[in-house]
Amino acid sequence: MLRDSSRLTKGMAVIAAIFAGLAACASTPIPNDKIAVAKVAVQRAEQAGAPELAPVELATARDKLARAEKAAVDRQAEPANMFAEQANVDAELAEATAREQRSHKAAMEFDASMQALRSESLRATQPTQ
Amino acid sequence: MNTNLFNGIGLTGMGLALALSACVSTPQPNAALENARIAVQTAEADPNVAKYAALDLETAKNDLAAAEDAQMHHHDAAVDQPAYLAAQNARLAQARASAKADDARVAAGQTERDQIMLAARTREVQNAKMAANAAKMETNAAMAATTEALGQRDQAAEEAARLQAEVDALKAKPTPRGLVMTLGDVLFDTGKAMLNPGAARKLDQLAQFLNEHPDRRVQIDGFTDSVGTDSYNEDLSRRRADAVKAALTMRGIDASRIGTQGYGKAYPVADNNDSGGRQLNRRVEVVIGEDNGSAISPRSGS
Repeated sequence: MLRDSSRLTKGMAVIAAIFAGLAACASTPIPNDKIAVAKVAVQRAEQAGAPELAPVELATARDKLARAEKAAVDRQAEPANMFAEQANVDAELAEATAREQRSHKAAMEFDASMQALRSESLRATQPTQ
Repeated sequence: MNTNLFNGIGLTGMGLALALSACVSTPQPNAALENARIAVQTAEADPNVAKYAALDLETAKNDLAAAEDAQMHHHDAAVDQPAYLAAQNARLAQARASAKADDARVAAGQTERDQIMLAARTREVQNAKMAANAAKMETNAAMAATTEALGQRDQAAEEAARLQAEVDALKAKPTPRGLVMTLGDVLFDTGKAMLNPGAARKLDQLAQFLNEHPDRRVQIDGFTDSVGTDSYNEDLSRRRADAVKAALTMRGIDASRIGTQGYGKAYPVADNNDSGGRQLNRRVEVVIGEDNGSAISPRSGS
């Protein structure tokens, strides 16, 4: 009898666990793919010079990514999804900002060199004697 | 009872009214949504975004629309996330557009830069060529000048040597007035102005010299000894000088190059007290001028 009841309890627990699992699956899955995408985006931003050129944007992205990963570990799908999406767009903005700064700097330098070249060329075309 | 009923209705009505007002009233202001609207508007106003980041702007607009929709349906929990994404995507659009605009400007300028640099290089090459040519010409000119100078030196040396040889042949002596060749008395018959045939060789030499040096003038001065009157002597000396001039003219020398003068017994070169001295004094001096054609000064002093 005692043995029977113990078996019954075990069986119920298994069923409950299955249900719980199904319930979790049914609501929102853990967004591992989104987190992976965000992670790659952060790495791209780091390679694009964001640590120097867009440190605030990059810090925000890293923070959101960390939160998304923690939420995933805690099996909290909703916050994991939210933070992963934010981390991705933050990282993209960090990368774009870094590229913007670099392009701007290059354009300024180009303008300066062109100005020098033009004035030099103007001097050269005028007779020197 | 009546009051109770009334109260009940009143309470219920108020509850209904509240619920209705909540439905109809404008949604509560949401900071994230407001932020997103401003970000999207700013991106829309940026001309670079339309040109270079239209897709990013579209994403931002879709996010904003989702946020607005959630707000309209009081699904407050679903507003913040799309609002945040909208704002970030709008900024992303601007950053990407700005970078692309700068890159495009540099790429376009590169062509102009290449042209300027090409022009500068072409000019440099031309300048170098011109400098090389100028240097070459200078070298050539210097070499030509050296050659010419050497030639002139040679020519001058030859000229001097030949002149010397000719002068030697004429037995002329250099004096301050020029080269002086003396035709002695023996070339004239006594008391006559006629040149005897023995003078011909000397006159041929003189004429040849004058033909070879057409720039030189010649002055012919006649002299006598102290025997006889002055007028006779001056006349004789002049006639002898004229005779030499005529002989030279016959040999092709232009008369305008020849001056004559009779000095009579003046300017003796020897003692008139003995016959030998008197013979030396009876003479005709031919003065050959400089090769610049300058006139020969008349005889003066002793």
